Amino acid sequence: MTDALVETRNLGKRFGARTVLDGVSMTVSRGEIVGLLGHNGAGKSTLIGMLLGQVWPSAGEVRVCGCDVTRDRQGALAKVGAIFESPAFYDYLSGWRNLEILAGYSGPTTPARLREVIEWVGLSGREGSPVRTYSHGMRARLALAQALLPGPELLILDEPGDGLDPEGTHEMRRTIRRLRDQLRLTILLSSHQLGEVEMLCDRIAVLSRGRKVFEGSLDDTRRQESWVRLKTDDFAAAASELQDAGWIVGVRGTDRVLPADGMGTDGMVRWLVARGRPVYEIAVETASLEEFYLKLMGERKEPEAP
Amino acid sequence: MMMRQLRSELWKLFGKKRTYIGFGMLLLAQGIVTLVFRYTQASRGAVRALETNGYEASAYVSALTIAVVMLFPIAYILLPLYLALVGGDLVAKEAEDGTLRMILARPISRVRLLAVKWLAGVAFSLLLVGMLGVTGLGLASLFFPQGGLFVFVPGELFTVLEPGPGLGRYAAAHAVLCLKAITVLSLAFLFSCLNVKPAAATILALSVLFVNAILMQIPFFRDLQPWFLTYHLNLWQSMFAQPIPWWRLTESAFLLFGFNASFCLVGAMIFQARDIKS
Repeated sequence: MTDALVETRNLGKRFGARTVLDGVSMTVSRGEIVGLLGHNGAGKSTLIGMLLGQVWPSAGEVRVCGCDVTRDRQGALAKVGAIFESPAFYDYLSGWRNLEILAGYSGPTTPARLREVIEWVGLSGREGSPVRTYSHGMRARLALAQALLPGPELLILDEPGDGLDPEGTHEMRRTIRRLRDQLRLTILLSSHQLGEVEMLCDRIAVLSRGRKVFEGSLDDTRRQESWVRLKTDDFAAAASELQDAGWIVGVRGTDRVLPADGMGTDGMVRWLVARGRPVYEIAVETASLEEFYLKLMGERKEPEAP
Repeated sequence: MMMRQLRSELWKLFGKKRTYIGFGMLLLAQGIVTLVFRYTQASRGAVRALETNGYEASAYVSALTIAVVMLFPIAYILLPLYLALVGGDLVAKEAEDGTLRMILARPISRVRLLAVKWLAGVAFSLLLVGMLGVTGLGLASLFFPQGGLFVFVPGELFTVLEPGPGLGRYAAAHAVLCLKAITVLSLAFLFSCLNVKPAAATILALSVLFVNAILMQIPFFRDLQPWFLTYHLNLWQSMFAQPIPWWRLTESAFLLFGFNASFCLVGAMIFQARDIKS
């Protein structure tokens, strides 16, 4: 059994003179939910296209479920389901017929399996209606149903919450949790909704201008930079003393300090008090994923031309 | 598995209203031609040609003759038009609608997908030609008596046949017309594999046919006619010749098989190399 369900090595893609992916290596292990983040045009959809054998790599290697996608696409996708932003269906056909058609490209699917999946996604009773009569939320559920039909081990979700109203977004989030908890699926989730990613994912990979700029757990993002809120009688003087002594490496505003590597708040408090500085409040502020992401993207912005 | 996928393609194809435009328009054209021949003097030319050559016109101005009269303009203009429309849609419409991306998230090879799509297109072509033959003769039978077959194309054909052999030729012409229908569909299918809109695929296919047909009529190219695709597409017409030019028929049939194979092969190579994006 392969542990890494998705593995890319130095993956690159050029469209003419434009490089949209450059040397991207990443892994999604069995059982994980991994968030794929990046600005519009960062290369997320191209990367997903490559995982599904829809976009051919210009360089590097991409393996899904242990199979090289460019050489053995059928093997690679046998246990993969995918949902795209604004899923497209044959609107003039019923939901049931759409599922039958799409399932037919994966392999034999019994009516019992179709009914089971329709029930799981909550479309029972509407499967006979033409898809053109479906609401946006129902289309999203139908998209999920078609992805689940082949009994996937890996689910690739390309911005599945886009265009959904708050209730729809909430439902989609709940469904993703169910997919993990009940079906034990490995999920690669590409999304712009950082809150959603923070709530659902174990790890994230961030793309910027076609390059991977971060891959790690959400804990790693929090560890990257934890500012400390410090309230004392004279913040400027205290911060200056802390910096001179090597306790902190940065100061922000009138009450935030950035501890140096390995420096804890307990030692900092003792050190200040020993020097006669009262400490009224000290608290570690964990950076949200949004803060982490924006900072990461800010660092990657090219300097403006003079 | 292949049959299941073919069935899916047929569901898609025959579930769309636009698929039936061709059937509807062909029926309309046949109805108009029948009524024009029944209630105007349009058959006067045929009567004169028959009588001048010593035939009793009333025995040959029949349902069969009218069915063949209506077959010519339809086979030359309307049939290629609707086949190009459906062939152009087969891949490009799915790419435009986004359903191609849904399909290609599945473990089906691109070549196999094209194969089932082409087969569905072939089924449509056969059905369209079959319907053309049945409804043409059926409509004509409502307004004209049964009788012999008279086919007259100035400078090309002058054939007079008794009812039995005439009906046989009518059926054989439709059978051979299927080859033209499939070739036109394959041409549009080839363009449909490019990264273009469905309308562009249809227009490209029709452009190839029209340019071929126009060039073929220019006196300078008269001697080069066998080099044009449209020359071979019209081989169905030779089923009405007396005697049937079997050599030309066989040669054209083989060439059309070659054209079909080439269109499908080039289409598959283009489609295989393409990046499918949203």
